[in-house]
Amino acid sequence: MKKILWIASLLLLPFTMNVQAAGGYSIELESAENNIRDQESLKRGAVLFSNYCMACHSLKYMRYNRVARDLGWTDDEVISEMAHGLNTVTEHVMTRMEDGVARAVLGSDAPDLSLMARLKGDDYIYTFLRAYHQNEQGEWDNKALKGTAMPNVLEGFQRHASPEEYEEAARDITNFLAYAGEPSKVQRLDLGWKVVAFLLVLLLLLYLLKREYWRDIKH
Amino acid sequence: MSNQTNESPSGKSSLLGWFDERYPVSSTWNKHVGEYYAPKNFNFWYFFGSLALIVLVNQIVTGIWLTMSYQPSGELAFSSVEYIMRDVEWGWLLRYLHSTGASAFFIVIYLHMMRALLYGSYKKPRELVWIIGMLLFLVLMAEAFMGYLLPWGQMSFWGAQVIISLFGAIPVIGPDLALWIRGDFVISEVTLNRFFALHVIALPLVLVILVFMHLVALHHVGSNNPDGVEIKKLKDNNGIPLDGIRFHPYYSVKDAMGAVFFFILFALVLFYAPEGGGYFIEAPNFEPANPLKTPDHIVPVWYFTPFYAILRAIPDKFLGVVAMGAAVVILFAMPWLDRCKVKSIRYRGNSYKVLLTILVISFFVLGFLGTQPSTPLYTKLAQIFTALYFMFFLVLPFTSANEKTKPVPERVT
Repeated sequence: MKKILWIASLLLLPFTMNVQAAGGYSIELESAENNIRDQESLKRGAVLFSNYCMACHSLKYMRYNRVARDLGWTDDEVISEMAHGLNTVTEHVMTRMEDGVARAVLGSDAPDLSLMARLKGDDYIYTFLRAYHQNEQGEWDNKALKGTAMPNVLEGFQRHASPEEYEEAARDITNFLAYAGEPSKVQRLDLGWKVVAFLLVLLLLLYLLKREYWRDIKH
Repeated sequence: MSNQTNESPSGKSSLLGWFDERYPVSSTWNKHVGEYYAPKNFNFWYFFGSLALIVLVNQIVTGIWLTMSYQPSGELAFSSVEYIMRDVEWGWLLRYLHSTGASAFFIVIYLHMMRALLYGSYKKPRELVWIIGMLLFLVLMAEAFMGYLLPWGQMSFWGAQVIISLFGAIPVIGPDLALWIRGDFVISEVTLNRFFALHVIALPLVLVILVFMHLVALHHVGSNNPDGVEIKKLKDNNGIPLDGIRFHPYYSVKDAMGAVFFFILFALVLFYAPEGGGYFIEAPNFEPANPLKTPDHIVPVWYFTPFYAILRAIPDKFLGVVAMGAAVVILFAMPWLDRCKVKSIRYRGNSYKVLLTILVISFFVLGFLGTQPSTPLYTKLAQIFTALYFMFFLVLPFTSANEKTKPVPERVT
């Protein structure tokens, strides 16, 4: 039994290491400390995303009604909060910009953000949003992604907000993108322990059954 | 349960009798399950055969349901996976069952193979069980490799690009061979379509047939055990091995227990770390395949990394491919490379214990190195451990011929 537990724990070892974190970023990432169970934060993040990001970025794998269901909005609410009443709930969350405009104006297409949190991690997004700074010539750049084509769209917001408010806004947007990366994650986390609990009971029963049958076997 | 089916086709079992006259229901059941006598001393290592079968069933069943929503086209493959993850009812669960199952399959198979190396399960009369098993391992690798292209993410695309280009290193026919495999000059929708066909039909069919043959061969010669004693040598008056017990119910109930223990570990990964720390689902695969943008660091999935490290360790590309292939193929020869008559490591000499330890350490170190970018130090290490890996197979025929073994008991312990 000891050996079994030893091997089992060895098999789980790789999961304690996270290779994703080993990316070559130019600055150290700050911990986002976002919580995908915090619906209020997700709602604020969705509204901020709609106001500041959707001009260029889409969430093309996400539907409005799915956002509504997961964040606790009605169908009408999600359309008024996120789409200014312009879309239907079954549509995907698309950018308001036409194809090719970003490339023409900014020199680069704005990537779809559905999976950005899974590609780069929550902390990267959080750090990126807080890493805009002005150089000596007064041009904006980003410490997390030097020379990024993305302008500091939150500049106006930042100017009128306290550092704490800005930090919270960055965390809310990050949180919303983390949610959008895997909308079923909360369901997954909540189902997991129930499955494991059921299996533990089943394991006990099967252990007793096995012991009962194996009474016949002389060693 | 089992007792009724063992009786002659009369009384309560008359329906069964009707079938038995027309189809070998009872005799097949008895040969493979009800009256299959397995040694009574199976230990922890003997769970992995039945677990492999269970994981295979999981892959087939979840695969069927994934196929219902997946679109094998360059345009739609990536987004259809996200459609499964978001819009299909329980699609995320099916997808994670399948992706986690792929890695679990290799963990189980590697441990299953380790068992054979520990207890000499490849030795006479089980050479064909081993060879069919090795064929299964080869087909499984092809199956996993082709499956990994289907999500059509960056790592899917570039991983396949790197691996298929290896065939191009073969002299004379290489470039044409690589072209023939891809069906195009680069990985394209043509490649995706054929990999889909092979992944969902051709290779699973071969796998199932080989599993069937693996079991038929095993049940013909009988199972080995941790003592490496042939239980068929000592039988009672009814011709039943003294150290044998019926597979059902004894091992069916024990394997069921083992399966549930495995399910618990599986569920912990599935629900709490489905990306497997970036090893089971690599982060770059959350970006759609882009032929114009090479990822910084192309790594195959973890189960190929020991062999990938061997490939990279050799400076010459073609020789690297040869070494990588040889690292797998040489295992086929195990029944003949190992000339020691004693099967189980319990009674074998120190030379085998030392060699096997070196092999296992080399495999783990190469597995790690395969996940890392190559640096001069890592390349040097990969070369050393590649040499150690092959040393096992080259030295074994000499050491095993005159190994100082311990006396093997008559009966299992």
